[in-house]
Amino acid sequence: MEATAPVAATTAPIPALTPQNAWQPLPASEWNAAAARHLLRRAAWSAQPAEVERAVAEGLPATLNRLFPEKPTRFPRPESIDHLVEAMPSFNTRLRATTDAFEKRAIQKERRDREQSVQQETTIKWLQFALRPEVSAQEKWTLFLSDIYVVSFEKVRNPGFIHLHHAILREHGLGSAPALAKAVSRSPAMIRYLDLQESKKSAPNENFARELFELFTLGEGNYTEQDIKQAARAFTGYRVSTNPSGARAAAQKSKAGRGAGGFYFDSRQHDTGSKTVFGSTGNYTGDDIIDLVYKQPAAATFIPHEMARFYLTDAPFPREYLATLGSWWASQSFNLRALARRFFGSRLFYAPAYVGNCIKCPFQFYFGLLQDLNLDVTPIPRQTISPLRQMGQMPFQPPNVRGWVGGRHWINSATLAARRQLVQNLFTPFKESNLNADEQLEIASSRAAGRDRFYIDTSRLQRFSKTPPVDIADTFLKTFLTGTPSPAYREEVIRFITGDKKPVQHLARVRDAGIALLQSPGYQLC
Amino acid sequence: MNHRTSSLPTTRREFLKLTTGGIGLLAFSNFAPSFLIESVRASTPRPERDRSILVIVQLAGGNDGLNTVIPYEDAHYYRLRPTLGIPKDKVLRLTDTMGLHPGCSELNALFKDGKLGIIQNVGYPNPNRSHFRGTEIWETATDSDKFVSTGWIGRFLDNTCAGSPELDAAADPSAINLGSELPQTYLAAQAHSTFSLSPGQLRRSAGRNLAFLESLVKTPADANAQAGAHDNETYLKQTMMDALVTEKRVQKILSGYKPGAAYPGSTFGQSLRSIAGLIAANLSTRVYFVSLGSFDTHANQSNTHQNLMRTLSEGLAAFQKDLEAHGLADQVMTMTFSEFGRRPMENESKGTDHGTAAPLFVMGSKIKGGLHGTAPSLNLQRNQDLAYSTDFRQVYSTVLQRWFDCQTAPGILGDTFKPLGFV
Repeated sequence: MEATAPVAATTAPIPALTPQNAWQPLPASEWNAAAARHLLRRAAWSAQPAEVERAVAEGLPATLNRLFPEKPTRFPRPESIDHLVEAMPSFNTRLRATTDAFEKRAIQKERRDREQSVQQETTIKWLQFALRPEVSAQEKWTLFLSDIYVVSFEKVRNPGFIHLHHAILREHGLGSAPALAKAVSRSPAMIRYLDLQESKKSAPNENFARELFELFTLGEGNYTEQDIKQAARAFTGYRVSTNPSGARAAAQKSKAGRGAGGFYFDSRQHDTGSKTVFGSTGNYTGDDIIDLVYKQPAAATFIPHEMARFYLTDAPFPREYLATLGSWWASQSFNLRALARRFFGSRLFYAPAYVGNCIKCPFQFYFGLLQDLNLDVTPIPRQTISPLRQMGQMPFQPPNVRGWVGGRHWINSATLAARRQLVQNLFTPFKESNLNADEQLEIASSRAAGRDRFYIDTSRLQRFSKTPPVDIADTFLKTFLTGTPSPAYREEVIRFITGDKKPVQHLARVRDAGIALLQSPGYQLC
Repeated sequence: MNHRTSSLPTTRREFLKLTTGGIGLLAFSNFAPSFLIESVRASTPRPERDRSILVIVQLAGGNDGLNTVIPYEDAHYYRLRPTLGIPKDKVLRLTDTMGLHPGCSELNALFKDGKLGIIQNVGYPNPNRSHFRGTEIWETATDSDKFVSTGWIGRFLDNTCAGSPELDAAADPSAINLGSELPQTYLAAQAHSTFSLSPGQLRRSAGRNLAFLESLVKTPADANAQAGAHDNETYLKQTMMDALVTEKRVQKILSGYKPGAAYPGSTFGQSLRSIAGLIAANLSTRVYFVSLGSFDTHANQSNTHQNLMRTLSEGLAAFQKDLEAHGLADQVMTMTFSEFGRRPMENESKGTDHGTAAPLFVMGSKIKGGLHGTAPSLNLQRNQDLAYSTDFRQVYSTVLQRWFDCQTAPGILGDTFKPLGFV
């Protein structure tokens, strides 16, 4: 049984730290393996021993520079998106050529199915990309931003636009926050997702302006309905072209989206009149509105607050601590990289209350499992994307514009069962001859690329065949759990692996011990 | 320690034995199932057993209502369905004008016995044709332009359980879902015990592995654990323990269950068998949810829909018969819903596209059978959709007010919806 609605938690205490000193850098003397493990688990997907060692040797500031680099690593656009873009004109020609409503629908359905399968393929490629340890922190940061600047494939329906949106988040994600907001306002996926496309001079659509204030930059209570109405007028004329060869698309500047169609500005649909927003009046453009947003006090604490929720705790976070971080951030011209380094390098980030008490999101649970077990992404949607959906986090399809709520909302009896099942699957070899032809091709091409570890089988457990149960238990506990195991807990694991000492059963017990530890409550936390 | 048998309590009596046998209740409370703790503290009696129960059957994908309940005397029907129309002589006649799909012979018999009600032409204003959004509208019971995060049953639980914590402390879940994804119907503002049982879950969770997992859940993991104000580990342990204990109870109940009817082997039939078993075990659970999929019949729908109708009909009839054999039929009402009906005019792929209103079924010994509401007018242009005549929230309102005897239906549904005559 589970609670359908998690009980509200109380404020976590932050002992010995004041709002003034909480964000000061962690003293070098406190930087050690335990701290490095905490950083790697929270900022990325897992703490691999080699990565921990490297982080300790390099020191905290250098590690942060590496985790949050000045230049992002691009996630290349999969070729299947290019092919889809190339195929679009022919769909359009066929649609124009018929006047029959049924045939039109059949063509539209064919196009939808094609888009769906390209999106799935892109998702698998992204999972393979994000699993790489050197970009794990970057991709988690992109995930964090995409949980603020939410779009969903469910509505956008265009894999190229979804890819471009995340490329924008990556490109501007460690730059200036206002520049990020401006780039997102031109993201074709966002323009479609929040109906900016429909917004015209004579009938401005308020959806984007409302979410810009409420969910992207300021939060509820920091603007009026009048501000939204006026700001909506400034965002009129933002348009998206899906025609790659059209003249309009020539205006499209972004390299990532070249050939895919994209953003253009239709000045005829733009309301050039005077607007009053946050008490200021002028002939504002959309960009002007974003500059005005970042003059509001609430903008300085909004992203820090979102970071605390995503990276630190799902318990309410004390305002006075946000205020000090926010005012410091404003003084840094809202630079996101500076904010990330300050946040992850702070004394507060390493406070005991925040260690080992964060419920892993399904992505983190999945990536962490693969990294901890040294496995590759199985390039088969039903074995990889379906478990994510069952655990409650369908890639590129957040439930609504608020994104994933996270924290205790991830956990109910069904999602826990899905987590247990995923672990079980990763320890269960699948018969390749049972896969369909497409799936066998995917497996073959993954193998060719050197990614061929899809599950733990007996051969991979073989190295434990002569290891004493005590050592196996200690290895598992150290790798899989945060903190120091209690003697009773350790004893329990040793006793289980020891079993009745029949050697035939030894490896089966090692396997079962691994499965149970990865299914246990402790492994759901980081 | 013998790992093959778990030392976890599965019943209140076992639990009480444990707590008086030396393990302090407080020490145990960090990881014991919350319902056990609560009920021991409160020493509350179990809720009465003769409560009314609702079983919700989702027909996912958009069921073709027009080929489910067929206006076989209407020439427009055959005009709109030149290839998919069910010939008059194949239709299972309910009245002089309306009949059932030939795959529904068991439902036809139930109709004749007065145990099946058909509510005709159910929909809502400004219908949405997206699967996702359409389902959300039905599950959250809102206007098509309003978005809320709670489901109608979730809000019902909020209402009935508010101020009576002993209900939440009961050993049984308030609502059970057969499937791995929690239906939006159950999402609530307050915490309620719900349980999701996925079909594969039962087979796999037996044995040594599960017993070991349980012992890991029970044993304090961290040497330096400090009971913080916001302790997610305790939360996880409690949720997992609740899930494991309930899973085990459910497993025990179902493995020993002797149904009073032969169920079809379909997943749907087996899910209904499980529901009957849980009801027969006197769980105080009031709502069950089960989904039957693949109704999105855009192409060559004839065979697919025939099979779906048969699966539905055979499953529901076995369920009803089983409940009757156990003397439980008076307690249970079953209702179907689907996110939308399909377009009256068939498409060129011998299928149907997303539409609007459709009939839904209610089944039970205590319901008023027969046809309710009015049939849709089929005097339509090409590709025109049906105009609904009964709002789906009238159906919910009937269930809440007359079946559950819940006085706050307007609050739950956001407005007053006139109840229908099927209860």
